[in-house]
Amino acid sequence: MDKSKVIDAQNLFVADTEQEWIVRAKQGDQQAFHCLYENYHRRIYALCWRMLADKESAEDVCQEVFVQLWQKIENFRGESKFSTWLHSVATNIVLGHLRKHKNWLQRVFSIEDQTIQDIPVEMVDNTELSALDKQIARLPERARCVFVLFAVEGYRHEEIANMLGMAVGSSKSQYHRAKSLLQQWVTL
Amino acid sequence: MNSQNSEKALQEQLTQLPKEMTPERELWSGIEKAIQHNNQLNTTISSHRPAIPMAWAASVIAAVLLTWGVISPQQQQLQTPVSLVSAMQQDFEQQKQTMLVSFGQPKISALSVDMQKQLAELLSARQAIEKALVDDPNSSDLLNILRWTQKQELDLIKQLYSPQWQSI
Repeated sequence: MDKSKVIDAQNLFVADTEQEWIVRAKQGDQQAFHCLYENYHRRIYALCWRMLADKESAEDVCQEVFVQLWQKIENFRGESKFSTWLHSVATNIVLGHLRKHKNWLQRVFSIEDQTIQDIPVEMVDNTELSALDKQIARLPERARCVFVLFAVEGYRHEEIANMLGMAVGSSKSQYHRAKSLLQQWVTL
Repeated sequence: MNSQNSEKALQEQLTQLPKEMTPERELWSGIEKAIQHNNQLNTTISSHRPAIPMAWAASVIAAVLLTWGVISPQQQQLQTPVSLVSAMQQDFEQQKQTMLVSFGQPKISALSVDMQKQLAELLSARQAIEKALVDDPNSSDLLNILRWTQKQELDLIKQLYSPQWQSI
């Protein structure tokens, strides 16, 4: 039997099932929406956690993503993959959360958080977290966001610059800063 | 280790990075409650639609009355910048009080130390600006900063006490 055809059939089945959940969720079916949640919440939580480097905030924002998804799902027209669209919705919500919770002093005087964090105690013994995730959490906020969006989520620097309201060059330099810090840390 | 090796090590760890993480807290029940709450809210709003223009009209009338009250000829002394500052302060205190009442008069001391610190920073910034305005009452920059600081304080209070999804 041709193995590639079996995989295609399986993918088609998954895509069809997901398409059905989306259609039903658009019609207000909460059960179908729950299926979408079950399918995606771990991926969205991973995005939130990496961008925010804080468990509590990541859980809150992950909830907010799905509450907003329920309200916005009718805007999904299928022009891109659902997962791509959902990740862009989630990224915008995470960035909105970061902007909203910025210390007012940082907002007024545009102070950039440059501090490199120690690995929080709760993470040191957390065996579920990969070594790299523990180090990503130590990066300064901007460098961390750019790194996660570029290296993990696969956005281009032009898109990141647009999302973060910075120049493309700044996005690239923040990425290189994050990368060189991580290179130092992962080889220690 | 040279830079090529460290780049390779990072690249390897990146490819092995898990796509998923499992939250410790159960999140669905909070989402479900928020969705149901929103659905109920939408139903209520659509069944009481005539109330919205009424509310808008009431707000516009209140705003017009307030503006007229502030700049009416009988109260011309309010037009001096110092009085403008006190009018801004009064208006701000009133808004803050209304907001705190709507949140059930919460105790500031019950907030986390970090939040208390942020509120204290805003308060001391506001007091410093007010003090500076006494010396330079015509400074539109200072007036703008004062208004901005007041708004930040109101936003922070709103943010601190608005119901969170998980507690709906």
